[in-house]
Amino acid sequence: MAIDNRGRPAKHLQPNTSSQKKFEFFHDERVRSIFYQALMAAAVGLLVWYLYSNTAHNLEVRDMNTGFDFLNVTAGFDAGFKLIDYEPGVGTYRDIYILGILNTLFVSVLAIIASTLLGFVIGLMRLSNNWLVSKVALVYVEIFRNTPLLIQLIFWYIGVFSLLPKVRNSIDLSGGAEVLILNNRGLYMAWPVPGDLLWMTGVAFLVAVSVVVLFRRWAQKRLDLTGQGFPTLLPSIALLILLPGTVYLMTGAPLEWDIPKLEGFNFSGGAALPPAFLTLLVALIIYHSSYFAESVRAGVLSVNQGQLEAAHAIGLKPAQVATRVVIPQAMPAIVPPMISLWMNTVKNSSLAVAIGYPDLVSLFMQTTLNQLGHAIEIVAMTMAFYMTISLSISWLLNIYNKRVQLVER
Amino acid sequence: MAIVKAEKTPARAAPLSERSLIGWLHKNIFSSSFNTILSIVTLYVIYITVNEVWHWGFADAVWFADSRRQCFEISTDGACWAGVIGWMDSIFYGRYPRDELWRINLGGLLVVLWMVPLWLPRVKAKVFIGLSTVFLYPFLAGYLFSGGGKGVFMQVMVTLAIVCLMGNTLHSVISLIKGISLPEFLIRAFGKSTAPEKTQHYLLLGILFCSFVAVYYWQSSWQVEAVSWTKWGGLFLTLVVSGIGIASALPGGIILALGRRSNLPFIRVVSIGFIELFRSVPLITVLFMATTMFPLFMPEGFVLNKLVQVIIAVCLFNACYMAETVRAGLQAIPKGQFEGAHSIGLGYWQTMGAVIMPQALKHMIPNIVGSFIGLFKDTTLVSIIGLFDILGVLRAVGKDVTWLGLHIEPLVFGALLFFLICFAMSKYSRHLEVKFSTGLKNMTPNKRNKS
Amino acid sequence: MKIRKLHLSAAVISVAVLASATSASAQSTLDIVKERGHLRCQVGTPSAGFYNLNAKGEWYGLDVATCQAVAAAIFGDKNKLEIQSVSSQARFTALANGESDLLSRTATWTMSRDTELGLDFLPPNFYDGQGFTVRKDSGLTSALQLKGAKICVTTGTTNELNMTDYSRVNNLNISNVTFEDWNVRDDTYLKGGCDAVTGDKSSMAGNIASFPNPGEHMILPETISKEPLAAAVRHGDNKWTDLVRWSIFAMVNAEELGITSANVDEMKANSKNVSVRRLLGVEGNLHNGLGLTKDWAYNIIKQVGNYGENYEAYMGDGELGIGIPRKGTTNELWTNGGLMYSPPMR
Repeated sequence: MAIDNRGRPAKHLQPNTSSQKKFEFFHDERVRSIFYQALMAAAVGLLVWYLYSNTAHNLEVRDMNTGFDFLNVTAGFDAGFKLIDYEPGVGTYRDIYILGILNTLFVSVLAIIASTLLGFVIGLMRLSNNWLVSKVALVYVEIFRNTPLLIQLIFWYIGVFSLLPKVRNSIDLSGGAEVLILNNRGLYMAWPVPGDLLWMTGVAFLVAVSVVVLFRRWAQKRLDLTGQGFPTLLPSIALLILLPGTVYLMTGAPLEWDIPKLEGFNFSGGAALPPAFLTLLVALIIYHSSYFAESVRAGVLSVNQGQLEAAHAIGLKPAQVATRVVIPQAMPAIVPPMISLWMNTVKNSSLAVAIGYPDLVSLFMQTTLNQLGHAIEIVAMTMAFYMTISLSISWLLNIYNKRVQLVER
Repeated sequence: MAIVKAEKTPARAAPLSERSLIGWLHKNIFSSSFNTILSIVTLYVIYITVNEVWHWGFADAVWFADSRRQCFEISTDGACWAGVIGWMDSIFYGRYPRDELWRINLGGLLVVLWMVPLWLPRVKAKVFIGLSTVFLYPFLAGYLFSGGGKGVFMQVMVTLAIVCLMGNTLHSVISLIKGISLPEFLIRAFGKSTAPEKTQHYLLLGILFCSFVAVYYWQSSWQVEAVSWTKWGGLFLTLVVSGIGIASALPGGIILALGRRSNLPFIRVVSIGFIELFRSVPLITVLFMATTMFPLFMPEGFVLNKLVQVIIAVCLFNACYMAETVRAGLQAIPKGQFEGAHSIGLGYWQTMGAVIMPQALKHMIPNIVGSFIGLFKDTTLVSIIGLFDILGVLRAVGKDVTWLGLHIEPLVFGALLFFLICFAMSKYSRHLEVKFSTGLKNMTPNKRNKS
Repeated sequence: MKIRKLHLSAAVISVAVLASATSASAQSTLDIVKERGHLRCQVGTPSAGFYNLNAKGEWYGLDVATCQAVAAAIFGDKNKLEIQSVSSQARFTALANGESDLLSRTATWTMSRDTELGLDFLPPNFYDGQGFTVRKDSGLTSALQLKGAKICVTTGTTNELNMTDYSRVNNLNISNVTFEDWNVRDDTYLKGGCDAVTGDKSSMAGNIASFPNPGEHMILPETISKEPLAAAVRHGDNKWTDLVRWSIFAMVNAEELGITSANVDEMKANSKNVSVRRLLGVEGNLHNGLGLTKDWAYNIIKQVGNYGENYEAYMGDGELGIGIPRKGTTNELWTNGGLMYSPPMR
């Protein structure tokens, strides 16, 4: 029927306005549309002007400065955790902004990777046919989904990370190898120091990856054409390990590890992650993995039972059923909620402000705003960062959705 | 020759492997060697966790003491619940004057009384009851909680709320007992059931007017002591903020969602911009914005108190999230419904109000409950900007000199409280989902109907 | 054309709002407070000793006492007071836009704050500073004996810097053990990980009180940094500044003169001391300049107490105190070698 998707009659079915002069001028849809929009524009404009004039007046009365000049002022405070070189008294507030963004991204990316993996495991545990395991997973999911993240965060901070042993009694998580050490001052780990020829190993790895991709494509084509499969998993893994490995050894193993050592009362060397960072990471992982577990479960359950039975009936092995029937059909249901969970992880990392991990909100929106004022500029810059991130993530989601839709046909 | 069995064959009991405990264990826990190992490891982990929690939380815990020092004297291994018990009033009511707590309790009771009819199967006019809860109850509760002098406006609104509550309650009772609505009952009681419709209407209006006047007269002499918002706190404040948030998010969300689906470009762009702005930033930045920028937006000398700032921020934030929920609900409505509405000559607002929205809202109820859970949990963030919501109070316990250092126990208690409330709500929303999904089976959602 | 009318009336309303907005009054703070019937005093989120909540939801603490004193001076009732707990981001905005009348929340008085933020600082009610906590059985009596000691400190604070300077100046050769979080810092100290803890004295005292055996620890008398904590008001309303300033001085003056909340009635009736009689409003007209009633200082002392009483109650060894000794510190009266000094009230 000739009705567009908003339920209005298509153009050629609309009453001809010129033949109905009696029709009031105002009942012409175009006129009304313009009028409503003008009205809306006037209201929005008036509101903006009103807020702007108030703000300008207030700023003038209170003798407050505006503008982004403050970004070039040197900042006098230190951040407890930094990924770039920054010295208090030397670095500027622009450095603080960048430092905050990097810290936010660092903790979010780690949390996203880990919570996705953990959530996947918990989701599969929920689907396990072992009653105990599935109930434990259920309890995990219900507990962490139904309590506020902020309470969990503070709980981990006060209740767990402040109870870790002191430096002398550090826990060695690597089982005696002393490359991963946990104590109440944070997590210390060995950190790679790249040598001169390491880039060759990197190139070898990239070559291996592209070879594997081509190889798998060829195998898939062969399967489609002839119906004969070709084992791809083992050769791919072998190639990915052997090629870079050989190059690495041939160039003389150009990678050294900086290992944390106990010197007096302090560990030195390696990389150190402070307790606030670990707390935030753990809280984000646990909270979001419980959500992700539920979407994995829902996604797998959304696959039609008949599909499974049919797959078994034509004699596919369980592994083939999983990889060729269940996962391809479950993924479209899992990925969109997964991506919006990633977005939530980035947003929720801003709760760092409650435990003092120096993320963007804590460094910039709290400390900097506290010291300098400039509320409007600072709020705008912080929001701009989060908007950029979330718009790019939803852009990714759109691309994925389009691809999935094409595959369906 | 046909052999016809006259009697039914008695059903045999299920095989032992299906119904006995051992059979169940075999099937669900020890079905394979891998599963057996998994079960044993899981059991061990459960044992350790439960044991620790039992000893800390119950066996070695101190329930009665006057200070943290006394707790330490009794036991240093267990929890000191005495502190939480001593602070219980503050955790629930914040700094509200202790003599006035009945007002909060009464307010809570009234909202239950108001909303119970929504769950009673025989009561009709649920839409009216629901709307009156959203639009009239806040005035009554707002006056109960904040007190002080009533202006004429508040007098009228409070009166309307009381009349409406009495009407609701009477209506439900009569519906339950007699199976007829309140107006019908009144008309019958006055013996006018055969009178023309106009007379009936005048009669009902007259009764309404009389009760309004009577209540107005009665409540104008009724006044409670003013309690400043700075004394609001605890779970009460959390519920107020999240309650106002959800009540205003729904209408706000509907408007924004319609704006986003509108075919007037300017309105669409403004709606999309607004929705995306608030949906893509964390709530804490919106709250910081509210406390630092709203004062600059206001005309000089006009002070918006912090509670209002926070509530505005929470409402804006949630309206944008609700807009997306509503949009999802609108998308699930089949195109035929729009076409049908137009074909019988309904305009835009009539189509939306009478055909589309009622269906879409029914779809969305589980999601709305879901957003309420999210909002309720998110409200704890207001403690970061210095309001004494439940988390703010829980964190203050460990700083009181009497209970100095008591941090974990209040947090555990708070988490438990949140868990109970949110778990109950999420179970309820799942129940609703099941209930509504059965009713929607014959309606095929049109997935292409996207905007 | 209903809609057009609506538009018009909307415009009329907004113009009216604008008009009313621009005619903001320039009333004095005292008049506003009197008209409102209570004082709005800003504190922060609970901090031991200065502003704390108890289980009944009442505020108490040294900074709260300042708020109460001002309320008592204006209204003769220390409870005509609304305490606002404001987060640190919004503290100066809340004062600037008139949300609070007085800020009394352990703000350190520094020159840049005083000159750039539109604030006027008042006389400090607590001279905080960095100090050291040690075990009593270590036998230490002075920070100068900490030669070669391991000391726990939180990183990223001026505490670390100050301690290093102090160690260098006095040749102490201190080695520092740094922490992100003071909870962890104290825990390490308790487990024997270091010989002493350093931090701001007031907060350390609070932390000691939360240790399992607070009696085994003590704070050394030395203070190695300056943190004068003071109340602040909006810049520009001098009458209001005077009122708050002299309310604070009245408490110190009362201690100098030996007037306490217990003996104030008797002193008022019987004292022959002219200073006492002037302070309590028996003689002279000190109240005129402030725009208050004759018994303003009497009300402060009667209801809130003198400075020493409040110190004892909240910072000292009182039931709600956090156990910071006063003797020999800068918070002692000037007559005992401290910095608490009130200009003469005559």
